[in-house]
Order: sequence, then C-alpha cells, then structure tokens
Amino acid sequence: MTETALREGGEEPAVGARWQRAAARGKVRGTTKYVADLPVPPCAQVAVYRSTRPHARILAVDVTQAAALPGVQAVVTGQDLFALLGERLLTGPAFADQPALAYDRVRYVGEPVAAVLARDLATARAAVDLIAVEYEDLEPVYDVETALKGEFFVHDVLRPSSVFGDLSHLRGKRDTNVCYEYNLRTGDVDAVPTDGVTTVSGEFWSPPVAHVPIELPCTTAWVEDDRLEILTTTQTPSYVRQAVADLLDLPLNKVRVRTSVLGGSFGSKMYDRLEPLAAALAWSQQTAVRLVATREEAFLLTTRHGAGVTSSMSADADGNIVAATADVAYDTGAFADVGPRITAKSGMVAAGPYRVENAWIRSRCIYTNKPSAGPFRGFGVPQVTWSHESLVDELARELGEDPAEFRRRHLLREGDEAPMGTVMHSADFVGCLDAVTDEIGWTTPYEKGEGRWRRGRGVAVGMKAVLTPTIANAVIQLNQDGSATLMISTVDMGQGSDTIMPQIVAEVLHLDEGSVRVVAADTDTTPYDTITAGSRSTYHTGNAVRAAAEKMRDKLVDLAAQRLGVAASDCKVTSGGVMSTTAQETVSISDLMHGHFGARGTTLTAEANFTTSWQPYDHETGRSRQVTEHWFAGAVAVEILVDTMTGRVKVEQLAVAGDVGRAINPTLVEQQLTGAAIMGIGHALFDELVFDQGQIVNGTLLDYQLPSVRDVPAKLTAHVIESAHRTGPFGAKGVGETGILAIAPAIANAVRDAVGVRITRLPLSPERVLEAMTEAGVS
Amino acid sequence: MRMLNLTVNGRVHDVPVDDNELLLDVLRTKVGCTSVREGCGVGACGACTVLVDGRSVSSCLALAVRHDGAEIVTADGLPGDDAVVEAFVECGAMQCGYCIPGFVLMTHELLAENPQPDAEQIAAHLEGNICRCGTYPEICAAVTSAAARGARL
Amino acid sequence: MPVLHQPRDLDEACTLLAELDDPMVYGGGTAIQILLKQGLLFAENLVDLSFVPGLTAIEATATGIRVGAMTPLRRMETDAQVAGVVPLAAATYGHVANPRVRNTASVGGNIAHGDYRLDPPTALLALDAQVELRSAHGQRRVPVRDFFVDFQLTAVEHGELITAIEIPAQPAGSASSYVKLSSLGENDWPSASAAALLVTEAGRRTLRLGIGALAPIPQFVSVDVSGHDLETTVEAAKAAADPLIDPIPDVRGSVTYKRRLGLVAVEDAVRRAWKDQDDD
Ligand SMILES: Cc1cc2nc3c(=O)[nH]c(=O)nc-3n(C[C@H](O)[C@H](O)[C@H](O)COP(=O)(O)OP(=O)(O)OC[C@H]3O[C@@H](n4cnc5c(N)ncnc54)[C@H](O)[C@@H]3O)c2cc1C
Ligand code: FES
Ligand code: FES
Repeated sequence: MTETALREGGEEPAVGARWQRAAARGKVRGTTKYVADLPVPPCAQVAVYRSTRPHARILAVDVTQAAALPGVQAVVTGQDLFALLGERLLTGPAFADQPALAYDRVRYVGEPVAAVLARDLATARAAVDLIAVEYEDLEPVYDVETALKGEFFVHDVLRPSSVFGDLSHLRGKRDTNVCYEYNLRTGDVDAVPTDGVTTVSGEFWSPPVAHVPIELPCTTAWVEDDRLEILTTTQTPSYVRQAVADLLDLPLNKVRVRTSVLGGSFGSKMYDRLEPLAAALAWSQQTAVRLVATREEAFLLTTRHGAGVTSSMSADADGNIVAATADVAYDTGAFADVGPRITAKSGMVAAGPYRVENAWIRSRCIYTNKPSAGPFRGFGVPQVTWSHESLVDELARELGEDPAEFRRRHLLREGDEAPMGTVMHSADFVGCLDAVTDEIGWTTPYEKGEGRWRRGRGVAVGMKAVLTPTIANAVIQLNQDGSATLMISTVDMGQGSDTIMPQIVAEVLHLDEGSVRVVAADTDTTPYDTITAGSRSTYHTGNAVRAAAEKMRDKLVDLAAQRLGVAASDCKVTSGGVMSTTAQETVSISDLMHGHFGARGTTLTAEANFTTSWQPYDHETGRSRQVTEHWFAGAVAVEILVDTMTGRVKVEQLAVAGDVGRAINPTLVEQQLTGAAIMGIGHALFDELVFDQGQIVNGTLLDYQLPSVRDVPAKLTAHVIESAHRTGPFGAKGVGETGILAIAPAIANAVRDAVGVRITRLPLSPERVLEAMTEAGVS
Repeated sequence: MRMLNLTVNGRVHDVPVDDNELLLDVLRTKVGCTSVREGCGVGACGACTVLVDGRSVSSCLALAVRHDGAEIVTADGLPGDDAVVEAFVECGAMQCGYCIPGFVLMTHELLAENPQPDAEQIAAHLEGNICRCGTYPEICAAVTSAAARGARL
Repeated sequence: MPVLHQPRDLDEACTLLAELDDPMVYGGGTAIQILLKQGLLFAENLVDLSFVPGLTAIEATATGIRVGAMTPLRRMETDAQVAGVVPLAAATYGHVANPRVRNTASVGGNIAHGDYRLDPPTALLALDAQVELRSAHGQRRVPVRDFFVDFQLTAVEHGELITAIEIPAQPAGSASSYVKLSSLGENDWPSASAAALLVTEAGRRTLRLGIGALAPIPQFVSVDVSGHDLETTVEAAKAAADPLIDPIPDVRGSVTYKRRLGLVAVEDAVRRAWKDQDDD
C-alpha cells in the first residue's frame, strides 16, 4: 500500500486518501433512496405472462378472460406490440434478437409473451393466470452440443443492432446457432516439435450462475407531454435511451432515462432488461406503468454464461510454455445480449497471462433455448481463467515444479507481447502473485494432515482487458460557494464511483472531502457514457472527470489572473483558493466567482470528453497491436481444508491481489477485492443455476445458494498493487472484476494439493469432490 | 380493509390494510419506510428485516394484520447517534448498501440479547442475512465495534 | 386469496376448522406465505391462531415440558427451561433457518409443515415427544414417532389443530448432540441431519437416533449399545440407520451422495454425544 505524500502546505491529497464512502450514513440507516423508493406518478402495476415452453410457435394468445377481470386496465400481447412497432420491437446490444414481448415464437421457458396492466399487482397477477396461450412446439436446443449440430435453430435470421463501436463489425447471418466466433492464431501450434514436450489438457466447465444483486430490477415509465420518462435500475442509462428511442422511433431528446444508486448489479442491470417492455407499454397505452421483477423473475432476466473450454498447454524440455490451445463455447441462451463481445474479449486471454509463442484459440457464442446470458462481473474471463489456471498448475506439477514459481517464470512482464499481439503495460502479475504467496507463507512448509481433514494450498493468476473503444464525458459545475456538482452517467452500484470521482475533482481543484457531489445519472442532464461496467469507469470516466476538473482549474486561474492583474502562469489553485506568487495573495473560489459574476449562487461549468481508440483485431488471427486501453491483473492464493468424509471444502485463508495502477481510494479498492473474492468463493463451491429441460430448477433464494457470513474465510486479505498506468487518471485503473477472476482455480488447485484430485467442472460441490476422490481411489 | 394500529419508530400510525397484505408492503407504501426492502420474498435474505417488539422478523413473510398494536423499529427510525449505525459507518460496513439496514437491525437484536458476542455468535445471528457485495468482514467488525460502544435501543 | 379468520379462543378455532370449506391453520405463516407466493396453496380459509390465548406457554410437567403450539421456534433455543430439561431440543431448534424465521415460525406449524428436511423432528423423535391435537370432536395425543405418515403428510386430520408438544425430560446422565450437514452454502437447509441421544437407564445403554432429510419422512431408530465402546457404538448406529436412509435426489445431492452424507451425520452426532457425555 502506498500512501501519497502530503502536498505543499501540509494539505492532505484527495487521491489516495481513504475518504468515507459517499452517502455512508444514508446507506446504513436505509434513508438512501434506490430506484423503487423514489416518487413516481400513479402507475398501472404490470404482471407478465411468461412462456411455459422452451421453444414453440405462438399460435394464439387468448386474453379475453384476463381483460375482463375487474381492475385490469389493459392486456398487451407481443402481437399487439409487433403490429405497432414491427421489427423495431427487437432490441439488443449486439444483435436485434430480443423482443420486449414474444410475438411469433418463444425461445425459453419464462420468456414474456403478454403483459397485464392493472390497478394493483395482485389483480395483475390474477389476470395473468387467466391468459391462455396456444403453442406449437418446436424442437428445443438445450445445450451447446446440440446447438452446434445445426439441425434446429433458435433464431432463423440475425440482424446486427449497430449500437457500439467495438461491435460495428457484426454482420447479419442466418441458419446458425453460432452468433459469434473469435479466433486467435499466434505462431503455429501444429509446428511445435513434440520431442521432449509435456502436454496437459482438459475439458473444463463453468455452469451458468445468477447475479442476484439484492435489489430487484424495477422500471417505471410514463408519458409526460410528448416525452417518455423512464426511472429504472440500470448500469447503462445512455444505452437504454438509445434502445428505447430506436424502439419507439423517437428523437433522443424525447426519451429521458434516470436511475439512482443501485443495490448491486454485477452486470445484471445492463442493456435490455425491463426497460423496452416498460417503454413499449407506457408509450402504446399512453399511461404510467411500473414493473418490478420478483426474485423468481429476476432469475429469468439474465445469467452468467455457462461455458465449456477444451484446452491444452505444452512445455518443452526446458520448461518453457511452447503452446496453448483452447476451444471455448459460451452458452448465451435465447439472446446474444453482449455475448459476442464477451466471446472475443475472453477468447483473446484464454491462453493465460503467460509468454506463449504458439496459441490456437477458438471462442464461440452459441444460442440455446434457455434464459439469456449476459455480462457478469469478469465478463466471461473467469470461465477461461478456470481453464488456463488449472492447466498451468497441472503442467507445473507434471514438470515437478512449484506451481507458483513456474507461473512466476512465465508471467507476462512490462513490455512483453501477449499472445494476442498487444504489448503489456501496467499489469504487474508478478507483483500480485508475490503479494498473495507472501501473505499465505507459500514457501513455508505446512501440515497436510492425514486424518479426516486434509490441508492444501493453491494459487492462480487472472488477466482481463478493459472494454475498448469506449466513450466517457463529464461536466463539472462549480458553485460560487466552492462546492461542486459532478454530472456523469456513471452509476454507483456499490463500487464507489460517487466517492472516487469527487476525489479526482477534489485533487485537481484542492477541494475538501464532501464538497463534490455526483448527480444521479439522468440522460436529460448527465452526458453520454458507454456503460458503467467492465471496471472501466475509474479509468475512462475518471479521465474525463480529471480533464474537466483541469479545465475548471484553468478557468479559475484565468479569473484570478484577471482580477489580480497578473499572468495566468503566476497563479495556481491551492486549498485556500487561487494563489498568485507575485501578488502575494490568495483569492478564495467563492470570492473569485462572486467578484466575477457579481452575484451569489452562480455557477461555472467545464466539461470534457475521453474517448479511447483501438486497433480492431484481425479477423483471421485475432491479433491486434492495441486491442485494449489497459489490463487488469490479479492473483489469488488460498489455504483450504477438505473434509474427506463429506467432500466439503473449507477456505481457511484467502489472499487476493489486484494491480489497480493507483488506488484513488484504497479502502474501496480493498472492499472490491474482498467482496469479489467472497462472490468467487460461491462460484467455486456451490453457486450454480440448475436446468432441467431448459427450465430453472433452483430459481428461488430458498434453493439458490449465495455465500453467507459463514462462507467467509477466517483470514481474508486484500493486496493493492500499484503499477501506475501512463494514461490513467493519476495512474489509476478499475478493480471491480479483478478479484473474482482467479478465485475458483486457486481453490481447485488447493483441492488438487490437498487430496490429489484434479476437478475440471465447477462448482466444487462436496459431492463432486467426493466422487473425484472415490474415482481416484483417494480416501 | 381494516384499520391497523402500528407504532413505527415511536410514531403511531393508523393504516387501512387488507387481510392478506404483508407487513413489508404496508411499511413501504403506507408508512413510508423505504429502508425495508424486498430481496427474496421468502425469508432468506434479510433485506426486509424489521424489529417487532424487539425481535427481528422477515416482513416479507409477515401478515400485517397480525401486528395490530405492535411496536416496530426500522433502521431509518434509529436515533441519530445510534451506536450500531455509528459503528457501521466507521467500519465502512457498506458497499451498495441495500442489505445494510437489515444487518443493522439484526445487530441490535443480537446485542440486546448478548452484549458481548464472540465471532461464532455473531455469525450465528447474521448467517441468514445476505450481502451480495460481500461486505461481511466489515459488517462483523462493525458488530464488534458496536458491542464495544455499548449499543442500546 | 384465501379468507383470514382470527378466532379468539380454541373452541372458536375448532368450530371454524370444522365448518369452513378447505380451512388451513395459520401458525407462524412462514411456510404458508411462501406457498401462497408460489401459487401452490389452494386453501380457501386461513384460521390464524395468533389471537388464541394459551398457545405460547412453556410449562414444566411431571415428566418434562409442554410447549404451546404457537411458541416461536426461537424461544425453544433461548428459553432456560427448555435448555435445562431438553438440551437436545434447544440445540436443534437453534439450527432452523435464521433468527428471523425462528422468531416467526411456530413449534406447531413447524412439525405440521411436514417437510422431510426439518431439523426439529429429529430431536423430537429421539426424545419421544407427544403431539397434542384438538378438534371440535375433542382432544388426542399422537407420539411424534407416529406423526410423520408419508411425504409431506402428517397425522393431523381434517378439522384438527396442534395445541402443544410434550417433550419428556432428557434423562439424567444422558448425552446428546445434533448434527446438520449441508452440501451447498453453510447456511442452507440440511442435506442430512441426525440427532443422537445416549441414555443409560436400569443398567442398559440405548442410543436413540432421529434422522432428517434422508427419506420422505424423518426417521427414528433406537439401538441397544450396552457394553459398546465408542467405535462399536458408531458402527451399530450406522448399521441401524442405513436401512432407514432412502434419499430424495435434488440440487443438493444424488441418492448415493446423500446416503454417504447421512452416515457421516449419524457418525458425527454419535461421536459428539459421546464426547458430551465424557465432558459431563
Ligand atoms: C428461509 C427459510 C429457511 C428455512 N430453513 C429451514 C431449516 O434449515 N430447517 C428447518 O427445519 N426448517 C427450515 N425452514 C422451514 C421452517 O422451519 C418452517 O417454515 C416453519 O417451521 C413453519 O412454521 P410456521 O409456524 O411458520 O408454519 P405455517 O406456515 O404457519 O404452517 C405450516 C403448515 O403447518 C400447518 N399448521 C400451522 N400451525 C398448525 C397447528 N398449530 N396445527 C396444525 N397445523 C398447523 C399449516 O396449516 C401449514 O400447513 C425454513 C424456512 C424458511 C422461510
Ligand atoms: S425479502 Fe424478506 S427475507 Fe428476503
Ligand atoms: S452492501 Fe450490497 S448487498 Fe450488502
């Protein structure tokens, strides 16, 4: 941990300080208002009829009984909306494949087919039970194996939606379940001599899992004059505005999307969730509607991709990693969502953070008749990390080398070219690995135990690229009293943007803790921002915020120079205001602005944009000299116990490290790392959505397991590594996902260490562990 | 519909309720306590926790009409200098914050019964509250800190 | 939505249960509310017992204690009398769900719920509790060991309600323990559970075992372990439990796994009870 030195005059710097989280007290007392708590006009409550079939043609939807129920205001079917909106009814961040209500065909059990608007929810739900749908079943595609056979198709035609820069290369296609394929070809894996080469391989599986932020999705939409207002739980307000404007064919200024702080999201409240349906209902009925997903419905809205990876890693006689292969299949369910991006961005790191000369990777995104998968903390990378970190561990063991030392030898370092062709900068894998192995005392011997409980240790390293290219904007309004308001469309969902963005402003303008407030995202006032996701905000929006603050600083300096009659170069901003060395005078912000405008309460604004660029990857080789703006690097080390009688794994100690470039607020960074680690423990040990014939079996919190206080390791430490990024704001990068990447393989590697079995399917449930031990004859 | 008499955070409310209404919905929509939230609807997450006559209850499973005359405490009604609140704020025991009011109330119940709980007792009392952000280490530290301050309702 | 009735005394409750169409007793409501939300409850009338006096008392009897049906589960874990007279019951009730559910759920509703995975029945079986039932036709008592009839089916008949559970005191010198094994999160429902009670009476030593989550209904078996040492007791317990284990596969485990886990629960419970006895 580095603490920043005091600035001149003994002033505490804002960047690097452990400022208290914004609205801390309000969050503890529950007075902070989340979306569902904010006032809205009187609304029709909406309940949704959901498909009972995994794949079927809709022959008829009979709503007569439902519509006749007292208290029902309207019943709207997919066919109604299609008649009104045509193909515009289909939205999606990559392909326009997602209808707000299904109109011709249903593609998963739980897909919305009709919506009831009623005076209260109980009535709406009762009416839903009266809707009768006639289906003609189509052959369902439950898994990627069947999907790849190409006998039955989830979609007949695919049309790109052309919203995002990085997906602008998507083309329409038909008669395939593969909506995207990314290939990486580096060197020639087939040309690697086999002499003296050791190869390990495996088939790895990460199941679909659910995000389960505790706050349920909630969208309210209403018409005000000729505009549509939407108040919704989203991490992508700018996207939602565009999607809704496209859906209803409205100009952007006639759609207003607002949100509030979110009660967690982890990728679940992104792109098209409840918003297109709410918008279509409100607009078509010219009324106010409110949709709140129940927990059971939230399980159907989005999931994390189940993913299979068939992979191998080879080392030559000198122990150099000479080849890596990976065939990755992401099950995206009924809709592509942002699966194509996930497929590419995860595919390109599927060989791991190692120097590997020859790599062959194929990464595909595949439709099935299941609820759609989308982004989830880690963005597909945990699934490939599960593969490469298990393989590299096994390779080290085959070669008789220490797994941590073996990694250390091969990890990419500053200036190395990664397998996809991009040169590494500010990704201190070795520093992360050192920190976690030191913490758990990797090199000191320990008792493995001989009785019922066996002890083991494991490490793993994770690597992820930030979404590139993207766009961020910031507007700062400085108030005459010296306080400031920051307008950005970044959404605070617990990651702490409402705390650290003010720290960046305060650092530049020398303001105090608490003097900068972030306005909740509102597309009427806060400027465009690609998304709040993929750990991109600290770097991207942070850079926009910093640039805006610097422009503000220049304005203040100009005002002071004018007022004092000195050169601008003579003035600088300090904690007391703007100081001139020649004039030997400091003017406070408040005096400066009062003097300039001649009134109190005035404002000064400055704005900035930060847009990143990239070199699109080559479509044959998947390579690019600059595929990403920056990297996330993380490492995990664990010590675990395995109960050999029950198969239960208990994580005793976990150390997690992430290279964040520079910690704007070390406390929040540490919390992101430990919080992600705890979520990762769930993914490693029990988190799993179970399907039976396309239907979720455990879609309630009575059955779906989340880590509780009982699942937290007795010792859990976060290690902040700071290898400053040359273009990060004060060197900073994001951290939201870093902690989760390598948790599962670290634990599996420790299980391997403790009881000698290599498990390649997640989760490491007690049953699976015991089964593997029985198979291997370990007792 | 019948009138229900509830004392919420020391203030008396007479609210009309249906027989089948849940305490959660009545508190949110008729009393205005939005610190009480639905996370699971089945008693498994604790976001809807309230104290009824001092005891923690999942308001998502509680019929409102059974609580006629009850004294209800919600996190937003805790006194300004509440020791548990102070401890949570100082320990940074919140990320998104959505689950935290539930933990605060569980902590009050625990400390009322057991002013100096050990780690196991803390875990046993909080194990049914889910913080998806994974703020458990800070929350446990906050409980210990609140105990040291001598929390009282 | 079913209609809610709130009788003010037992007779009124019994009359309502006798006369209403499709009535259902409303105890703590923690199970009923979930069934309602899932659309799985088809009762037309709910008879809420919360205003019936006398159903929340915990009283000492000549042979043990009597617990009113509406006593919240949490009191079973915190009440000094319960902990003193039937420590196995106190420990087991403390394992149910979480404190909030335990504050609301009732002792009567818990067993009437009839779920095969419930924690408390294991202890009640080992302790040989009696269930007191009442209807418009009068009162009767059913031993807990006869109470669980089939999958989600109990001895409670139409028109009946549970008024109390009587639990005989744990004999002096007995030792006990409850073990709950979950296979997913640590705070989950059990995938296997066992309550073990070691009793020495008239020179004979008996191990009484209640096991849960391992068959369509909770199971009971008693084993004579006179003269056994710990290891042979463990073996005898496992041999006795094994034929009773008939697991239902689900997301928490296959039949094979639950069977294995069941034997571990039995073994752990016996070992801990043994240790409990040594510690005394
Ligand atoms: C999140 C969660 C986790 C849980 N985890 C566990 C666990 O780990 N272990 C465990 O053992 N249990 C667990 N449970 C189940 C819990 O124990 C039951 O929900 C509870 O005991 C039911 O009691 P109740 O009084 O609320 O019953 P109610 O919901 O009121 O009723 C349940 C049934 O009993 C009937 N009934 C109620 N009272 C009477 C009476 N006096 N006479 C006759 N019939 C009656 C009702 O008609 C109904 O059929 C969990 C529950 C939840 C919500
Ligand atoms: S909403 Fe009540 S416990 Fe989760
Ligand atoms: S702080 Fe987000 S769920 Fe607990």
